[in-house]
Amino acid sequence: MHAQTRNPFAGKPDAIESGRKLFVEVCGACHGANGEGGRGPSLTTGREVRRANDTQLFQSIRNGIRGTDMPPYPQAPEKIWLLVSFVRSLSAPAAGANVAGNRDAGRQIFESNCKQCHSIAGQGGSLGPDLTEAGARMSLALLKEAIVDPNVRIPEGYKPVKAVLQNGQTLTGVAKNYNNYSLHLLEADGKLHLLDTSQIARLEFPEKSPMPDDFAKRFTKVQMQDLIAFLSQLTTR
Amino acid sequence: MTRTTLAAMLMVASSQAQVRYEEILKSPAENWLTYSGDYASQRHSPLKQINTTNVGSLVPMWVYHFEGARHLEVSPLVHDGIMYLNDTNEVRAIDAARGRLLWRHRVEGVKNARASRGVAILGDRVYLLTSDVHIVALHRLTGALLWQRAFESSEKGYTTSLAPLALKNQVMVGVAGGGSGQRGFVAALSASTGEELWRVWTVPGPGEPGSESWGGFNHEHGGAPTWTTGSFDPELNLIYWPTGNPWPDFYGGRRKGDNLYSDSVLALDADTGKMKWYFQFTPHDVWDWDANETLVLADANWKGKPRKLMFQANRNGYYYVLDRATGEFLHARQFVDRLDWAKGIDSKGRPILVPGKEPSAGGVKVCPSVRGASNWMSPSYNPETGLFYVVALEQCDIYSGSAKEPVPSSGFRGTAGEQIPAEPGKMYMRALDALTGERKWEAPMPGPATMWAGTASTAGGLVFAGDDDGNLVAYDARSGKDLWHFPMGNTLFASPVTYMVDGKQFVAIATATDIFAFGLFR
Repeated sequence: MHAQTRNPFAGKPDAIESGRKLFVEVCGACHGANGEGGRGPSLTTGREVRRANDTQLFQSIRNGIRGTDMPPYPQAPEKIWLLVSFVRSLSAPAAGANVAGNRDAGRQIFESNCKQCHSIAGQGGSLGPDLTEAGARMSLALLKEAIVDPNVRIPEGYKPVKAVLQNGQTLTGVAKNYNNYSLHLLEADGKLHLLDTSQIARLEFPEKSPMPDDFAKRFTKVQMQDLIAFLSQLTTR
Repeated sequence: MTRTTLAAMLMVASSQAQVRYEEILKSPAENWLTYSGDYASQRHSPLKQINTTNVGSLVPMWVYHFEGARHLEVSPLVHDGIMYLNDTNEVRAIDAARGRLLWRHRVEGVKNARASRGVAILGDRVYLLTSDVHIVALHRLTGALLWQRAFESSEKGYTTSLAPLALKNQVMVGVAGGGSGQRGFVAALSASTGEELWRVWTVPGPGEPGSESWGGFNHEHGGAPTWTTGSFDPELNLIYWPTGNPWPDFYGGRRKGDNLYSDSVLALDADTGKMKWYFQFTPHDVWDWDANETLVLADANWKGKPRKLMFQANRNGYYYVLDRATGEFLHARQFVDRLDWAKGIDSKGRPILVPGKEPSAGGVKVCPSVRGASNWMSPSYNPETGLFYVVALEQCDIYSGSAKEPVPSSGFRGTAGEQIPAEPGKMYMRALDALTGERKWEAPMPGPATMWAGTASTAGGLVFAGDDDGNLVAYDARSGKDLWHFPMGNTLFASPVTYMVDGKQFVAIATATDIFAFGLFR
């Protein structure tokens, strides 16, 4: 049987589940049981997987990737397509997932807990990433991770920073950009500072994201599900 | 308090300011706030820190690589130390003094990808037009998506590539797609919501004035697209928008008549869109010589009296002077030597045609070429020298035409103009007397005649322009003397801009893949 260019299992939830079981057996040792990465790269952050089409994913699994530790998996095409289905699901936009939960209740939770730092359609703060298209730009796994454990993966441009300037002024916020010569610091109130490092007396980069890391404790399971149901459906197209 | 601290505090304050309409009215100064720098599209900056005496010591200050870009055509905007630049369906904000990324926003889910030549800015918003004819509003300081809205249907074949023009509380947009038979229009969208405020079709509907000029051809497929940025006169409250060629491009037998309002400039009331006047440069065009070249507005003495004028170096090879209050034709003069389709322009502004120059089945040689004597590469005008600076192409083509039934969006355009292998084109930087069109100086640009870079003029007595061999060149505005150049390592498809941050003047231009900013060596 020749490799098809289209996944015969595309869009079939059963295939994703079958693929998951196979993935744990065949790929889990390197990529982690949930594709979170280990010896092999994470398959949940999406970049490589989202850029590859199904045929490219199929070829990478069947033939391995030259110059890396990724071995070939020369098995029946059906098995490879099941793996493709699961891997694809790891980085698929959350909006495509059928997330149970009360979206209206989720919106209320967002308004009370998240809006201070995150915006939707221009309403909200700017210290955290804009969530107007969260459902289109993040996978369900990433979305959950970002809420429950925000320190695992702080996105570029949102790393916390505290700068004491030569004039004694102290600025805190996130670093939109930083190198040995300049710092671009966004404060919680939306003020943007374009600074030469020569203007800075002292710099601190706290390891923790300014986002609270105890939402898993603060919210009930139902509340968490409602929030994810709301955020996962945020798209504009 | 040290100087650097003060500078930092000033920067903190100024970066937060709203971009007010009144501020755009004063552009360009330290900022560059519209595609052409100003509403008049003069592309002339009052900055003169970099001038004829010191331009020789201009050096690169930073380079920003636009990852993923292959063909940047952008003319960046700059406001209070932040530069806004874009590629197809993507905007980035960078520190205009240091070249460091502040934010980026890629519009997801756009199926097509056309070049995009710039963004607009107003209030706390940056506006991008996507290849699938949406307007996208982003927050100026964070890049957060505020809203997006389709202003036409890409399913009908419409796309867009121009930089929108923000004025008052509206954003002016136009469309491409005329080459595949889509009916052009100019629209004003609400700057707050993207909602359409008014729209003017460039091909009149049945029974409307001008419809008789099409010989019964279906107005829905007349073309006349609006794919470049227009100009604006706030005193007259008139928006001037240029229109493209009629469709099918190279065969006119099915659209007998002048084909209004193709190849024209439309003068539109900024508040209502009502057409105050129009002027058609190439009636019944069969050579694809659209009139989408930049419309430059200037006030000058015309035969001893102050007059509100409009200049355009048209793709058809003639340089035009119009009265922009009334639309009256004042003067035309050819600005390329290779021009043989007309004997001249009559007193009403109508070309006097040379017989036998219509594209034919066997092909006919016509000058200028289908790319035109000039095209969308930006010209500039320096009120102090009174000169109009334009990149010109000397080239002829073999034009073929076919009476075959045209099908919209099929790629068939009534056939085409083809380059003559033994007669490669030659590009020139030319300075024309803005009132007479007389050539005052020219600089040849050796190269393959494939570049699309434009110009920017400064009060420092300089004209910056890309050349045909990938150099950014600084010419003496009065003499044309080549004072400085820098090999950019790439073919150029964009026009330079100039701005100032913290007292330092920069000149920036995009190559196919990167933005370069130059300043005086410290």
